[in-house]
Amino acid sequence: MNLNKIALALAASTILTGMPLSSAYAADPIKIGLSGPFTGGSSSMGVSMRDGVKLAVEEINKAGGVLGRPILLVERDDEAKNEIGVQVSQELINKEGVVATLGYINTGVSLASQRFYQEAEIPVINNVATGTLITKQFPAPDNKANYIFRNAAPDSIQSKMIAEEAIKRQGFKKPAILSDSTNYGQLGKTDLTAALSTLSVAPVAVEKFNVGDTDMTAQVLRAKEAGADVILTYAIGPELAQIANAMAKLGWKVPLIGSWTLSMASFIDTAGANGDGAMMPETFIQAPTTPKRKAFIAAYQAAYKIDRMPSPVSAAQGYDSVYLLAAAIKQAGDTDGRKIREALENLNEKVEGVVTTYDHPFSAADHEAISANIPVFGLVKGGRVVPAHPEDLEGANALRVKPKG
Amino acid sequence: MQYLPQLIVSGTVIGMIYAVIAFGYQLTFATSKTLNFGQGEALTLGALVGLSLVWWLMSLGFGAGWAFMLMLPAVLVFGMVQGAVVESLGVRQAMKNKSEAGWIMATIALGIIFKNLAENIWGRDALKFPSPMPETSLTFGSIRIQPMEIAIIIGALAMMLAVELFNRRSIFGKAVVATANDRDAAGLMGINTSLVITFSYALSSMAAAFAGVLVAPITLTGAAMGAVLGLKAFAVAIIGGLSSGLGVVVGGLLLGITETMVGYYFSTGYKEVPGLILLLLVLSFKPSGLFGKATIKKV
Repeated sequence: MNLNKIALALAASTILTGMPLSSAYAADPIKIGLSGPFTGGSSSMGVSMRDGVKLAVEEINKAGGVLGRPILLVERDDEAKNEIGVQVSQELINKEGVVATLGYINTGVSLASQRFYQEAEIPVINNVATGTLITKQFPAPDNKANYIFRNAAPDSIQSKMIAEEAIKRQGFKKPAILSDSTNYGQLGKTDLTAALSTLSVAPVAVEKFNVGDTDMTAQVLRAKEAGADVILTYAIGPELAQIANAMAKLGWKVPLIGSWTLSMASFIDTAGANGDGAMMPETFIQAPTTPKRKAFIAAYQAAYKIDRMPSPVSAAQGYDSVYLLAAAIKQAGDTDGRKIREALENLNEKVEGVVTTYDHPFSAADHEAISANIPVFGLVKGGRVVPAHPEDLEGANALRVKPKG
Repeated sequence: MQYLPQLIVSGTVIGMIYAVIAFGYQLTFATSKTLNFGQGEALTLGALVGLSLVWWLMSLGFGAGWAFMLMLPAVLVFGMVQGAVVESLGVRQAMKNKSEAGWIMATIALGIIFKNLAENIWGRDALKFPSPMPETSLTFGSIRIQPMEIAIIIGALAMMLAVELFNRRSIFGKAVVATANDRDAAGLMGINTSLVITFSYALSSMAAAFAGVLVAPITLTGAAMGAVLGLKAFAVAIIGGLSSGLGVVVGGLLLGITETMVGYYFSTGYKEVPGLILLLLVLSFKPSGLFGKATIKKV
């Protein structure tokens, strides 16, 4: 076989497998896809996530890369739109030939896009989206393997935490639930009601509003009239701010406790002083409670020349997702999707992340890296999120690790 | 019943916003029998331009209140220019060709273009509009109302009254009324009816831009803010009647107040339904609207 024939065979195999020719060379970069909304209503989360990811990639590349190859990020803006997310996933898989993809802020986009990765046997690590269904879209008997992983706190954990914080820890008895009419709000409302009923509490009022509603008087008055002593929320930033503002206008003040979206910049900035005191479960709060967190915050602030991270949770989880993936590629010794998945499901290296230290975070049956003991409650105070119960992050409590099992 | 006055007040505020936008629909319909389906986007652009101006003026050291007052005339002029652009690009050609649907598609298309423009210039995040007035509520008995909400009611009424007075008293306004009554006859009398139509579009977008800067301080400003408001105002214009200035005020109040009342007394999940039922009822029994004059088209 002469050289020409070899080249021809190589070219043919490239066309057949759809793999770019260049990936045959060892020194070439490892391509990792990144999909998230970098413009639009959820962009503060998307951009923070991207910046966290980029920070980790730079660190890894500076230290020599993975398997001796640098990581190359292929970033695409999915605009928080399902159809764009689908296009992005196809482009990343077929044109760019990524070995894995990180990202997704919006549960809908994630659910619509990740089936293509599942079919192509390329792992996805969801680092922000919280919908409970995300890692359970391709369950075991029907699918040989599940390629979808997550290192964010799923809604099932968050709703439980919200209910326990309000009822058990703070002793409220008459919660009202306010949620928006999107999937996020309505699924969250269902989870919250279920979590409350396990504590044998029923919400005194369950109110709904649309994204873009300008007047929340009716919703807030109904909750007030029902005698609510706490408001539990499942919605996104702008409408959450409208709730806080409507409460202030009507001169009624009860605590707001809700999903982590209460830490969105669009809530904190637009509600201003009215939003002070709102509480939400957070996997990471911008506070140097461990050396790793301290280093991460300093690196982030230096790299992006800002003081307050727009969405600290997204940034930290984005950062950690890169290290999880890098460890898996290292362990697999290869960039084949199947081998990376197998390595993720049995990760031998302890990965020291910002959120937690990941010690065998995934197994074949469990693709959630964040367990219920990891998030703590954050509190909005003077335009920032601070720990609601500082003792939760003191001493031995600072580093919360997923229990073995 | 304890909260009834509060609900009426809150409904009135949102109703007046609907009314101002619907007033804009009514202005162009009167002269040209066409509507600007990009009215919601005209509101968005007005609010965002106003926001940028307020930021700029505040960076020059003006207080939020002064910045708002100084910004107002500029936004009104911007609204007029924007309306004239919509008319000349979207409506004039369709009317010349006697196209029945051309202006519908053209104004919708322009609305989408304006929305994309706004997304690219101001981003798609909701932004906080600095309130020109204190944000603490005033208490009157059992009613709590923000100063800005009072300003919305007064401002909306004043703007509509000013336009009505202008149309009825000034010579140029008479040309508008004449065109509205009978375009062909007005043309024969030497009135430049196409200019009058351009002018009505300018006034219409001005009303929308004004509504935008009025509502922005009590809600949030962003590229998506106009879509829902524009649609609701369209319902208001149909309910009140597209040929009546008084009709849109009544229609706006009706829709705003039923929404908050149904939200409170019935269920917030069905807040929007009664307004739409009202719309269907009006369309079935009095298609020209509650206050509209039925037009007899002679063929």
